Amino acid sequence: MARNWSAMHVQDGYLSPEVCAATGLVAAVAVGYSVYKLRDGVSDRVVPLTGMTAAMIFAGQMVNFPIGLPVSGHLIGGVLAGMILGPWAGCLAVTMVLVVQRFLFSDGGLFTLGANILHMAVIGSIGGYAIVSIVRRFFKKPNVGAIVGSVVASWVTVVAASALFCLEFRLSHPAGAFEFRNIFAMMVAIHSLIGVGEALITAAIVSYVLAQRPDLILGQTSASGDTVMAGVGRVTAAGIVVALCIGAFLAPFKSNLDDGLEHVSKVQGFSELAHNAWAFFADYDAIPVFGGQWQGLSVSVAGVVGTLSVLLLALAFGRAVSPRSKVVEAGRE
Amino acid sequence: MNDPLARPRPIRSLCHRLPPIVALLLSVTVITVGMLLPPTHWPSHGALLCILLAALSLARVPFRVVAGRLAIFLAFALLFAVSVPLSQGFRGGWEIAQGILCRGTESFLSGLWLISVVPFDRLLATLRRLYVPAILLAILAFMYRFLFVLWDELDTMRAARRARTFDRAGLVFRWHNAAQMIGMLLIRSLGRSERVYGAMCARGWDGTLRTLDE
Repeated sequence: MARNWSAMHVQDGYLSPEVCAATGLVAAVAVGYSVYKLRDGVSDRVVPLTGMTAAMIFAGQMVNFPIGLPVSGHLIGGVLAGMILGPWAGCLAVTMVLVVQRFLFSDGGLFTLGANILHMAVIGSIGGYAIVSIVRRFFKKPNVGAIVGSVVASWVTVVAASALFCLEFRLSHPAGAFEFRNIFAMMVAIHSLIGVGEALITAAIVSYVLAQRPDLILGQTSASGDTVMAGVGRVTAAGIVVALCIGAFLAPFKSNLDDGLEHVSKVQGFSELAHNAWAFFADYDAIPVFGGQWQGLSVSVAGVVGTLSVLLLALAFGRAVSPRSKVVEAGRE
Repeated sequence: MNDPLARPRPIRSLCHRLPPIVALLLSVTVITVGMLLPPTHWPSHGALLCILLAALSLARVPFRVVAGRLAIFLAFALLFAVSVPLSQGFRGGWEIAQGILCRGTESFLSGLWLISVVPFDRLLATLRRLYVPAILLAILAFMYRFLFVLWDELDTMRAARRARTFDRAGLVFRWHNAAQMIGMLLIRSLGRSERVYGAMCARGWDGTLRTLDE
């Protein structure tokens, strides 16, 4: 059975080098933070548990969910990973799946690995866990809360990831070259349907697991142990951090975008000239294409600095809000 | 599972004698060059693609494997690439479409070459030398080790399902069934990870992965 290509994977060439660098940095920070969070816990248990769950999600992505067309639906698994392992180990598990997909199957771009991690591991797993935890508070019965939470989290994370990709795509290419509104509408519409499929699949899996081993999702005592973070205060902090990361990353771009449109089109004219010059001269200097886009690079740097400072603030906030407890509070649910 | 490139194969070629870090650097360099070249300059991208195809044939990758994988990749990449000019009613946006196709294909073929030439465990050893955190590499190694085990288990479950149901069952039934299979795989995997963890602890596992070449 050949590996099925996922429509959600961003390939090299979709995004410009600056956007790749910026998303890569945000993803590296998120993964680094997840590693840091897991280091305090029982790290020797984390390795087999996360590795096995990552392998299971990878294998689970192979299962076909037929939709009557030549293409079939597949599990993405970010929310599932977050619910089983908690946000940090879940983020790592999905990251491992993406890394293996790249380095074992050449699925997904190399420079866009950061963007893929941002979409599926950070938004999908960490954001998904945050949404599930918040939704579960509204329900008395933990089973119902878990299932409804998985539905909402799956759909929201898929659509949010696609919206973020549209914005990254917009930032990668000059504004005049394509109709942003049409692409955005197409992307979000398609991914709304994909999100519905993901929500149904995840809910079905969660309900099956709840029937057999509810402790895996609700109690999380023996299976995942200390890798789950305790308390909803930390969870909301995580959700806020993710949202703020995305906002901080995009805010510098957004503020520049409106007044920078004419600048970009002028710059586009410049880079056209650079292309022509390149074709005539010897090919030892392939960098002129960067020449017109230095503004983009400096804006990315500003966005990343802003994201990092917000992350530090959120760390302090998270520490102030909830106690530094490694034990899972199953009674809270 | 019969994906020919996923499981390690004993093949000897010139490329397989390269040190893994050199192969990794070459692959990354090719992708970087492809990203930096202007997307509309056909000759340079054509030359890069020829170099990649030559490297693939030098690494003795079977042609039908390359063609098959490339076809599936191009199907999705073309869909997305065409949607960009489509959004403008085919008036513009062709440069972006060219960029998507050229750079995406170069990255894909370069990745294909790398995975054919460097076995996964050697790649992990190379990444460790590049100061990637040890816990990430340990999780990766573990995942790789059990990936094929779980994959075969999924195949067994699929065969059991085919033996017990009609293939023309309704859509809802098949979705329910597929989700049940994944759920079952999940429960079994977590139980297996508990057993493996116990076995590892009994053999002195303390959290650091050690290999023979240290």
